Amino acid sequence: MIEEIIIFSTISGGVYALLALGFTLIYGVSGVVNLAHGSFYMLGAYMFYVFGTFLLKLPPVLALILAVVFVGIVSSILYRVTIHPVLGDEVGVMVVTVCLALIFQQLMLLVFGPPNVPVASLVKGSVIILDVTVTYARILALAVSILLFVSLWVFISKSKVGKAMRAVSQDREVAMLMGINTERLYMLAMAVSSMLAAIAGIFIAGSTTGVAGAWIWMHPLALSFSIVILGGLGSIKGSLIGGFIIGYAEQTVAIAAPEGGAIISVVPFTVMVLVLLLRPKGLFGKRIEMED
Amino acid sequence: MVKSYLRRAYSSFAAHVFDIPPRLMAFLFFLILLIIPLAGLDPYYLSIMIYANVLAIFAASWDLLVGRTGQISLGHAIFFGIGGYSTALLFKFFGLPTWVTIPIALLVGCSAAVLIGFPCLRVKGPYLALVTMAFPIILHSIVKWSPLNHIFGGEFGIRGLPAFFAFLPIRQQRIAEYYLTMIFLFVVSVIIYKVANSKTGIVFVSILDDEVASKACGINLTKYKLMSFVISGLFGTLAGCLQAHLLKVSNPPMFELTWSFAPIIVTFLGGIGTIYGPLVGAYIYYILDKYFLTIQLPKLCEYFGAALPREFEYAKLLIFTLIVLILVIKWPRGIARFTTDKLEDLEEARDLDERGPRIWKRYKRKEKK
Repeated sequence: MIEEIIIFSTISGGVYALLALGFTLIYGVSGVVNLAHGSFYMLGAYMFYVFGTFLLKLPPVLALILAVVFVGIVSSILYRVTIHPVLGDEVGVMVVTVCLALIFQQLMLLVFGPPNVPVASLVKGSVIILDVTVTYARILALAVSILLFVSLWVFISKSKVGKAMRAVSQDREVAMLMGINTERLYMLAMAVSSMLAAIAGIFIAGSTTGVAGAWIWMHPLALSFSIVILGGLGSIKGSLIGGFIIGYAEQTVAIAAPEGGAIISVVPFTVMVLVLLLRPKGLFGKRIEMED
Repeated sequence: MVKSYLRRAYSSFAAHVFDIPPRLMAFLFFLILLIIPLAGLDPYYLSIMIYANVLAIFAASWDLLVGRTGQISLGHAIFFGIGGYSTALLFKFFGLPTWVTIPIALLVGCSAAVLIGFPCLRVKGPYLALVTMAFPIILHSIVKWSPLNHIFGGEFGIRGLPAFFAFLPIRQQRIAEYYLTMIFLFVVSVIIYKVANSKTGIVFVSILDDEVASKACGINLTKYKLMSFVISGLFGTLAGCLQAHLLKVSNPPMFELTWSFAPIIVTFLGGIGTIYGPLVGAYIYYILDKYFLTIQLPKLCEYFGAALPREFEYAKLLIFTLIVLILVIKWPRGIARFTTDKLEDLEEARDLDERGPRIWKRYKRKEKK
């Protein structure tokens, strides 16, 4: 049982960290609390289904790339059209993103209907590690999320665009004065963030349940925001550590508690509330207002 | 003597209501609502109005917390569900009558507001919004958790709650329920209006405008935020109790995100930061949804010889969210606010706005550092 908990929580922790990374990235750069993050996760899974089995019947890798690029384009256009006009108004941004989430949910219901659609797993087969059967799909998910995490970290800290993103997150006006096109940068950040969500969606849906429904956006949204609040909004390190904390806590409860699968969604929030009682800005919170 | 007293009362009433167009509108609105059941409507239409009343109470309580105090809550469904479940549990285990369970449920709602408020008020801005969103999701899973089925009834919730006027025939029952929710709505909106325009209400608005400045003025932020939380939670709980007894069931969907987002949609339709906005929004929402889109549109389609596809069910919410999206982007002050501004003299409107809170104006948005 211990082996089971350790292996599964490491895998889900890695994917959760990837999911939260997108959420924290767009907040860190532009200050947008994107409640439609779960919808991009859902859209990714649906588009993978559309390109892979429903419409074009492409090979899985090609379908994955197409789906992710599609989600990126859609999200940056949506950002420009809907979120950018209300930027700076916290309630406005949240309401707009909630509306976007509901619109995606209803669109998926309209187009695909209420039944779940199958999401193919990228690779087949499984391997036995320490007496626990682990599918290759899950291992691939962990590997891909670690790879993406590291490359994004390098991108943010080393590349010119990454530096511009950090500059904008520190002070938007001064960054504009230095000749950074903040609007385009925000669109880019949104695209990257939603693409991360879409990749997480394809991997999680493909490797665990194998289906995608119109309501699957809520759990990942809840997960990503509890991870991000736990780690501190806008902090990449925080989202990594928060992802693993939540992953471990969730899998422990799911395996150890009676009927644990049903109560699994309580775990992230309980951990989050406990941490917030001790540290109101999360573990590694940035953007701290100097007010208290 | 009586005559002169009446005349004085009338003239003061006229000065306070008839001379101010928005108040006159609100008065006429309530008058129309009061005489609606006398028109001999179908019970279906009455039930639309009943649920619109409940949603209006719920949305007004959200508006007091968010539109007036600026404490963003994305999880108002917690109070709705607590209201529904506490009245249902009291009925299930102690067999108490409705007029006892609802006041106790309100007390439970207040204490829940305090309990949730304390951890929540340590955080602010986006943290607060996301934390409040978490609480209903936690309770949603707990009431659905199968080991607790004997208490909360699991997936199906607690059924068989008593209706409000079970002794009347069905038609009179609807009318009585309508008047009951109407009275509750009236009382709640008057209380919220009074609170919002009292000294406390001004403090609430000052917290919304600038937390640091109000703290510097010696305002006990925790006390006032908690007060706003409790008042808002109280009326949210009331809406939950009413809904539970009207539908005769308390079930897990009361804690769902839908019920957290419904007051937001409705408030933005009407106009946030006003007290009448949510009321107008709730009516617009229900009348558009349940009357035009459910009854009139299929008729219209039939007239032209086309049948509505079954998937149209899903398009309704889509239409509403699109409307709200466009409103928030293009017209952030809502329908009701816009209308009242047009009704008043523009000069006077500007005057009023300088005195009162004009919150959702683009140019006053705080620039993020």
